[in-house]
Amino acid sequence: MDKKILIPIDFRIESLNTLKYALEERKQEKSTIILMYSEHISDSITELLFYDSAKKIKALASSEFNDAIAIILNTYESSLHAIKIELFNGMNKNAFLNFYTAQRIDLIYLPKDYRLKPHKNGFDPIPLIKKSKVEYKEVAWASDHAYASKDELNQLFK
Amino acid sequence: MFFLGSSVYYFLSNYSYADFYKRLEARVSVAEKRHFESNQRYAQVLKTIREEHLELLSEEKEYILYCPNAAAIKQLAEANSLPINFLKLTYTQQSANFQKEDIFYYGKKRETTKGFYFVIVSAKNYYNTHHLILLRKVLLVGGLISILFIIYLTNLFSKRFFDPIDNIITKVNSISTDNIHLRLDDIKNTDEIKRLTTTFNNLLNRIEIAFETNKNFISNASHEFGTPLTAIIGEADVALLKDRTPVEYKEALQKILKQSERLNKISQSLLFLAQIGYKNNKFNNTILRTDELILQANEIMNQLIPKNNIKIDFELLPENPKKLKVMGNKDLLMLAITNIMTNACKYSSNKPVIVSLASTNNEIVLIIKDQGIGIPESELPFIFDPFFRASNTAAYDGYGIGLPLTKNIIKIHKGELIIKSVQHKGVTVQVKLPIAAF
Repeated sequence: MDKKILIPIDFRIESLNTLKYALEERKQEKSTIILMYSEHISDSITELLFYDSAKKIKALASSEFNDAIAIILNTYESSLHAIKIELFNGMNKNAFLNFYTAQRIDLIYLPKDYRLKPHKNGFDPIPLIKKSKVEYKEVAWASDHAYASKDELNQLFK
Repeated sequence: MFFLGSSVYYFLSNYSYADFYKRLEARVSVAEKRHFESNQRYAQVLKTIREEHLELLSEEKEYILYCPNAAAIKQLAEANSLPINFLKLTYTQQSANFQKEDIFYYGKKRETTKGFYFVIVSAKNYYNTHHLILLRKVLLVGGLISILFIIYLTNLFSKRFFDPIDNIITKVNSISTDNIHLRLDDIKNTDEIKRLTTTFNNLLNRIEIAFETNKNFISNASHEFGTPLTAIIGEADVALLKDRTPVEYKEALQKILKQSERLNKISQSLLFLAQIGYKNNKFNNTILRTDELILQANEIMNQLIPKNNIKIDFELLPENPKKLKVMGNKDLLMLAITNIMTNACKYSSNKPVIVSLASTNNEIVLIIKDQGIGIPESELPFIFDPFFRASNTAAYDGYGIGLPLTKNIIKIHKGELIIKSVQHKGVTVQVKLPIAAF
C-alpha cells in the first residue's frame, strides 16, 4: 500500500530538498508525492471564470524546476509512484483539513529551517499546517546562503 | 476628395432640376383644374389649397392662354413674352419643360372644342441659384481645407516616422572601430523604432564583446608567449656576458630548456584548441557511462594532485543506468572533466570539491562545486576566451587555455557548460550532456 505524502513547496528548486530528504527516509516503501503550492485566489470574476490550475502550475514551474523534479524521479524510480503538483487556495485551518482529506494525505513533511519564499499572490502554508493538528515531520537541511537569492539546479546537490 | 465633391454637386443639382419641374407641374395641374372646373365650390376649395399649401415660388407667374390655332402661337408668345420654342414644344408634346436663363417653365396644352389653352407656370429656381451656389462654395472651401489638413498630417507623420530612422542611420554610420562603445539614444514614443534601436544596440554590444575578446586574446597571447621568451633571452644574455664554468652553462641551459618546454606546451595546447574548434573534425564516439568516467577522472586527479579533496556524491544518481549513458569521445570528455576538477582543486587550494551526478529525462547533469576564490562577476563573460585569466588568479599558475578547451569539448558533444560563481565563495560548474539514444 503506497502512502500519500504532502510537501509544501514554493516552486524554487531549494524547496525540493525537503522532498529529497523525505524520499531518502522512506526508501523502503512506495509513495505518492503531492507537492502543494499555496496561493490566494483572485477576486476577479473574469479571472475565476478562466481559472485553470494546470496552466497556473505550468507558468509557475521553471524549466530548471522541472529538471530538478525529473532528477528526483529518476533517482527514486523504484520507491516513487508519482509526483503531483496541487494548488491550495484555502485561507484557514478547515480549508486545509478539507484539502488534506480530499487528497487522502497520510503524512506531511515540512522543512525545519527553510522558509518558503512564495511568488506573487502565494503564501507560506506551514503555520496553517502546524495549527491543523495533523501528523507532520520536520526535516532539517542547510540552506545554502551563498546562493540563497538565486534559483539554480545545483541547490539540489550538496 | 475632388471626385466625391463634384459627384455630390452633380447629383444634387440634377435632382434639384427634376424636383423643381415636379413642383411646377403640380402648380400647373392645380391651376388647370381650378380654371376649368365647372363646380364653383370645388374651384374655391382648390384655390384655398393652392394658397395655403403650395408656397409661392420666387417670381412665380401663372398663365392661362387661349390659342385658337397653331398659327397664333408666335403672336401669343410675343404678347406674353414667353419663349416661342417652349410654346411650340408644348404644342407638339402636350406638356413640356423649358429653361431660359434662370427662369423655368412648365406648360401643358388643354384642348377644348373651340381651340386649345396653354396652362403655364414659370418661376425662378431659388433653390438652384442660392442653395447650389452655397453648396459649391462649401464643397470647394471644405475640400481645400481638408487637402491642406491632409498635407499637414502627412508631413507630421513622415517627420515622426522617418526622422528617427534618419537619426539612426546617421548615428550608426558614425560608429566605427574607434568609438564602438557608442550606442543609439533610447527613443520613447514609437514601438517599432524603439525595437529597431534596441536591436541595433544589442548588435553593437555583441560586436563590442567580440572586439574585446579579440583584443584580450592578442594581448593575453603575446603576454603568455612573451614571458617565457623574455626569460630565455635574459638567461642567454646573462650566460653570454662572460666566460662561465660548464656547471653554470648547464644551469643556464636547463633554465632555457624549462622555459622552452613551457612555450612548447602553450603552443601545443593552442593548436589542440584550434583543432577542436573545427566542427567538421570527426571523433570516434562510443557510448560511455558518466559515473565510470567520473570515477576514472577522480583516479587521474589523485595522481595529478595527490593532496586533492574531491568528494564524489552519487546521492541523486538515477536508478536506471541507461540514463547515465552518453555518446562521446572518452579521451576528450575525460580531458574536459579533469580540466574542471583541476581548476576546482587549484583555485580552492585543495579545499573540498563536491562532484555530483544526476540525470533529468534527456540530459545528464554533472555539477562540480568548489569553495575557492571564485570569479569576479564582471569577468564572467570572458572566462571562455583563450588566454583570459581572471584578475584574482595572479597567485596561481596557468595560462588560460583549459576552460575554452573544455567549453569546445562540451560543445562538440552537444552539451552545455554553465559556470556560476560568487567571488570568494567558490565556483559551481554545471555540465549538461544529452543522454545517448538507443
